[in-house]
Amino acid sequence: MQEPIIRITERPKPPQPETLTLRFSERAVKELDALLTHYPDKKSAMLPALWIAQREYGGHLTADAIAEVAYRLQRSYAEVEGVATFYTMYNKTPVGKYMLEVCTNLSCMLCGGYRILEYLQQKLGIRLGETTPDGLFTLTEVECLNNCGDAPVMQVGDIYCRRLTPEKIDALLEQLRQSEEHTVVQLADAEVQLHLSAQERERIQQSLSQS
Amino acid sequence: MGEYRLLLKHVDVPNYHDIQVYEQHGGYQALRKALQMERQAIIEEVKKSGLRGRGGAGFPAWIKWNGLPKDDDKPHYVICNSDEGEPGTFKDFELMFKAPHQLVEGMIIAGYAVRAQRGYIYIRGEYVECARRLRDAIDQAYAAGYLGTNILGSGFDYDLYIHMGAGSYECGEESALMSSLMGERGQPRLKFPHAPLPTIAGVWNSPTLINNCESLSCVPHIINNGGEWYAQLGASTKNSRGTKIFSVSGHVNKPGNYEIEFGTPLMELIEMAGGVRGGALKGVIPGGSSMPILTAEKCADAIIGYEELMEKGSMVGCGGCMVLNEHTCIVHFAWRTAEFYAHESCGKCTPCREGTRWMVQILERILQGKGRMEDIDLLLEICDQIDGRSFCALGDAAAWPVRAFIKNFRHEFEYFIQHGRSMYADNPESQQMFPPKGYQRYNPMRYEYTVGAVRK
Repeated sequence: MQEPIIRITERPKPPQPETLTLRFSERAVKELDALLTHYPDKKSAMLPALWIAQREYGGHLTADAIAEVAYRLQRSYAEVEGVATFYTMYNKTPVGKYMLEVCTNLSCMLCGGYRILEYLQQKLGIRLGETTPDGLFTLTEVECLNNCGDAPVMQVGDIYCRRLTPEKIDALLEQLRQSEEHTVVQLADAEVQLHLSAQERERIQQSLSQS
Repeated sequence: MGEYRLLLKHVDVPNYHDIQVYEQHGGYQALRKALQMERQAIIEEVKKSGLRGRGGAGFPAWIKWNGLPKDDDKPHYVICNSDEGEPGTFKDFELMFKAPHQLVEGMIIAGYAVRAQRGYIYIRGEYVECARRLRDAIDQAYAAGYLGTNILGSGFDYDLYIHMGAGSYECGEESALMSSLMGERGQPRLKFPHAPLPTIAGVWNSPTLINNCESLSCVPHIINNGGEWYAQLGASTKNSRGTKIFSVSGHVNKPGNYEIEFGTPLMELIEMAGGVRGGALKGVIPGGSSMPILTAEKCADAIIGYEELMEKGSMVGCGGCMVLNEHTCIVHFAWRTAEFYAHESCGKCTPCREGTRWMVQILERILQGKGRMEDIDLLLEICDQIDGRSFCALGDAAAWPVRAFIKNFRHEFEYFIQHGRSMYADNPESQQMFPPKGYQRYNPMRYEYTVGAVRK
């Protein structure tokens, strides 16, 4: 190993409560209110609340985002940070608009997942965990996405790209360059919407259009 | 014996995820029947069926169902474990994507049987595609009166919620899943006999029934056809009843989900999946990455069943059947397995947190050509130190496969250490599986704030 595999960064300082500016939109506040009715206590809404925060803060959880979730759920900053850093799908560092998460676990490994990774590294000119200079693509490696029957698999936002070949990747990258969406934010939004029933979504929509 | 489709019977029907199509194929009949039955009678049917948990442990389902208090006034909960994370498995994906109402119906029947007021379906965060289908299914079930208050005039109230995870293999463990549902880090809790069972004090300290997605999907069929009918399936085995979905992947021609009756020979399953691709068979991991590998000789006469596979030295697990052909480098495969468990270890207990990391470091040393002969026994010793000494089954799951790889393919490890390179380094068929040159694993999530732990 030539380089340390672990990056050492300074731990973000929790923002002081008096300096905290709340950034959740009206919609987000209503969604959180609806979510809180799903559980007997406030703390249990932590995971969906972090999904909302990831969406509202543009794709990754800053110290402010964690502080806001802590404030809204009435938990300590340390507790929310502990939860946010445990789960791999919450981004703790800024990421590109399109996060390419390549599965290299066993079945994908047997079917050439590492070749896909290699191809993407060459194509984008970045290493694992890096973002392209134009801020579009972040390349990461993930553990099993559990679509082993269609290996090799890659997750881009809320969709899976299955049975990958270099040609498919070329087409996908081209398509992504043309599109306007921010797949990381899109994914976070999808996760939030999945928690809410059709009635709740409708109610939120109505109350937003009234005000 | 061939495929026996029970849960997957109608998945190829167009729009089977739609409530109308599901009802045309006999959907929600089991719920109507169940709501006419006594609660205890439902549990008796599940007992008669001999259904065992499909998530990996194979624990008899009815014991959980029967374990919830029958006359207390605490709220009861039902949880469906759809946090499918075991490498090699994709059965829950198909069940939720193609037959979401089957799961919803199973959840409602389970809720009725154990007097629950609320049910939660915990889905891993990556499964957005199938969670959307399930979301629509739940919304349709509410509209049709199968969920909500006074279901079908029976006076039974029941709500169903979806809870999305956020990327953690550990949350597939039931106590960790409950921690995660309560908004905590997904770490396991102390278990029976040191702590009460989840059926007494589970999520939010209330009686909780927690079952795998596949187990709950079986319930409508058990109620419709009767427990005794279900128990006839797989009667040739010692104590495995019903059908099991196996997700066959790896070196096969037609990877996919295949539902079979217990008692089917393992080789027949591989034949169903189109046979081995690209060479002769080297080994099969029958139940997902945490189960020990079976060599080709052992596979030849292996019968699928909980006890039957145990006799051969492996387990049914959750049915993630990975097939390896003769060009597979077992040392690389073992390293990738160990790497997975090291990444997913939650960090709660020392044997697992440290042991999995050590195994990766030793295997990495071997891969770099700096291995020592004693490393093989060192790995086995670490496996023994983790196995049975960790807080939850993740430690065991990390130790079993590595131990089995070494026991069955020790010569490959020895060759690698002696020559500093893989037996298959020059084999063009094996190139697919090797990591790229200069590959460095990068994990931005777990180590970002760890100061002072630089691994050279």
